Amino acid sequence: MMNGDDLMNEHEKRERRTVQLVLALMLFVAVIYAMTFLKLPVWLPALK
Amino acid sequence: MNGGVNQINGLSEPPFDRLRTNGLIQSFLNINRVAIRLPPRPQASTSAFLVRLLARQRERIEERALGEGWGEGGHMTEAITAVAHDQHEHPPVGVMRWLSTTNHKDLGILYMSFGGIMFFIGGAFIMAVRAELLFPGLQLLSPGMYNQLFTLHALIMVFGAIMPFATGLNNYLIPLMIGSPDMALPRVNNWGFWILPFAAVLLLIPFFLQFTGIGSGASGAGWVMHNTSLDLQSGIGIDFAIFTIHLLGLSSVSGAINVVVTVLNMRAPGMTLMKMPLFVWAWLITAFMLILAMPVFSAAATMLLTDRHFGTHFFDAANGGDPILLQHLIWFFGHPEVYIVLLPAWGLIPHILATFSRKPVYGYKAQVYAFWAICFLSFIVWSHHMLTSGLPLAAEVYFMYSTMAISIPTSVLVFCWLGAIWRGAMTFETPMLFALGFVAHFGMGALTGLILPAVAVNAQYHNSYVIVSHFHYTFFGGGIFGMMAAAYYWLPKFTGHMFDEKLGRLHFWLTTIFFNMTFIPQWFDGLGGMPRHVADYALRFSASNFISSVGAFLLGLTQLLLVYIVFKCMRGGPKATGQVWEGARGLEFTLPSPPPYHTFETPPEVK
Repeated sequence: MMNGDDLMNEHEKRERRTVQLVLALMLFVAVIYAMTFLKLPVWLPALK
Repeated sequence: MNGGVNQINGLSEPPFDRLRTNGLIQSFLNINRVAIRLPPRPQASTSAFLVRLLARQRERIEERALGEGWGEGGHMTEAITAVAHDQHEHPPVGVMRWLSTTNHKDLGILYMSFGGIMFFIGGAFIMAVRAELLFPGLQLLSPGMYNQLFTLHALIMVFGAIMPFATGLNNYLIPLMIGSPDMALPRVNNWGFWILPFAAVLLLIPFFLQFTGIGSGASGAGWVMHNTSLDLQSGIGIDFAIFTIHLLGLSSVSGAINVVVTVLNMRAPGMTLMKMPLFVWAWLITAFMLILAMPVFSAAATMLLTDRHFGTHFFDAANGGDPILLQHLIWFFGHPEVYIVLLPAWGLIPHILATFSRKPVYGYKAQVYAFWAICFLSFIVWSHHMLTSGLPLAAEVYFMYSTMAISIPTSVLVFCWLGAIWRGAMTFETPMLFALGFVAHFGMGALTGLILPAVAVNAQYHNSYVIVSHFHYTFFGGGIFGMMAAAYYWLPKFTGHMFDEKLGRLHFWLTTIFFNMTFIPQWFDGLGGMPRHVADYALRFSASNFISSVGAFLLGLTQLLLVYIVFKCMRGGPKATGQVWEGARGLEFTLPSPPPYHTFETPPEVK
């Protein structure tokens, strides 16, 4: 059975993972949004 | 447990929903405090920040307890526990409960109710379209008004009805299915929902303003605005649609991030990924698809906005832009969107088939891998919507074969569904009827979808009523039949009462008959060359359009029966047990019906 410290660590770890995951996903969304402005389909030779 | 005694150190705890961190990110995200429980009296190893924070929170709670006259000193623990217990058992009442709620069940109900209301608004728009098509010639609508009505119908049905309803199901069910007390980001959850009504109003405003002489009406450029010339030249309706798309994107992406974080981070001990119900898997993959596809759609809408008002020329051919670029971008979103709508239904159907066949889910791993395969393929096939737009031959051939490849994982799913009912002890309650209806109708939609990407065939049938029939067999026959199966399956769980089974079966049979009466004729109209997006048609299509329109009216009327069944079930009826259905499995069926306001605050142990 976990003692208080272990439980605390587990909660901290979970909280940290949550924040990291949210920030990573938000960053990913921002990158995809920005990349759309590069107009890739226009430059891809196969689609010209 | 919300407050009460800490099982580790035996000390009393404050109610967790009163804990607030000062950190900016944590405050914004409102990371679920129940799952990330902090001990009330920090140990020596905890950081100074947490010590100060928790001490302050404790003082605040004690002050409130004193202020409300619950005693002091030795009675403090009881007072704090009483506050917690009161909040635990009784949700806030009145309008504020629904405006400010961060409870996943409340938000699930809000999402589903919103989806239901929008389903009828979107349906009303298409009734006007079918009234126009009842007879050849123009009777009721101008061509421009006709364009607005079918565009609004599509936008509302996809973004306002099916997606919010599926999101409501995920909100209500995912925490229950994975043994989590709530979604990971409850405040974001509330925010994501309350964006939707504003987005809907924004979409509809220009439509109604035109009757007062303001503006030229709503967008009439199709559900993903694929008509570039209309997009660039139309009035304010397109601008309102662009803003709506941005709001919907914000709502969808925040909801998707919430799902990913919840599923990856808040599962009960022992609930490994490969033990998760298929519905949770389906939603996890749907969320990833939304996160990848939605920003592209939003960015395309932004580019369109800057083309229209800020002098850029992304899509304006007259100034060196590329109108086909818009089609590429919106279909890069548009095709995954089809699976975003369908995947939640694919995830819940195996549960329903298994329950009413008294068998376990068949081919669990195969279905999970098929979901992932479809997710991947859906992002590399978008240009099959553009096969007549003048793509190079190599691209056409590629998009033809890659699209056909989707039929492989889709077939895996269909065979797993059939495997689930094979030699099962089947009974045909309403959810099972809708699930079987889903399999049959989606099968027809999928098979017609296998034919359409063939380049030569597509040249014939592109923009004809074949397409209309095909995507209604997938969206209505698949998406909406699936959602109705889910609604009937979990309705007793939501309300605590069994619904009227006879009326439910009547609803299924009438829906099935009138759905096919509406869309089978459209298939033959398309084969005969009737174009879609046109308010008039040749005389030879008169009989089939008359049948189709009458079918649509009756299909719409039949759905009022669903409203009656739901309200009747909410008001009373035979009491539902916790398990609800004899063969039902899953954590949500270990809870009473309806589940208490807070659930799984002590995580269950999954074997």
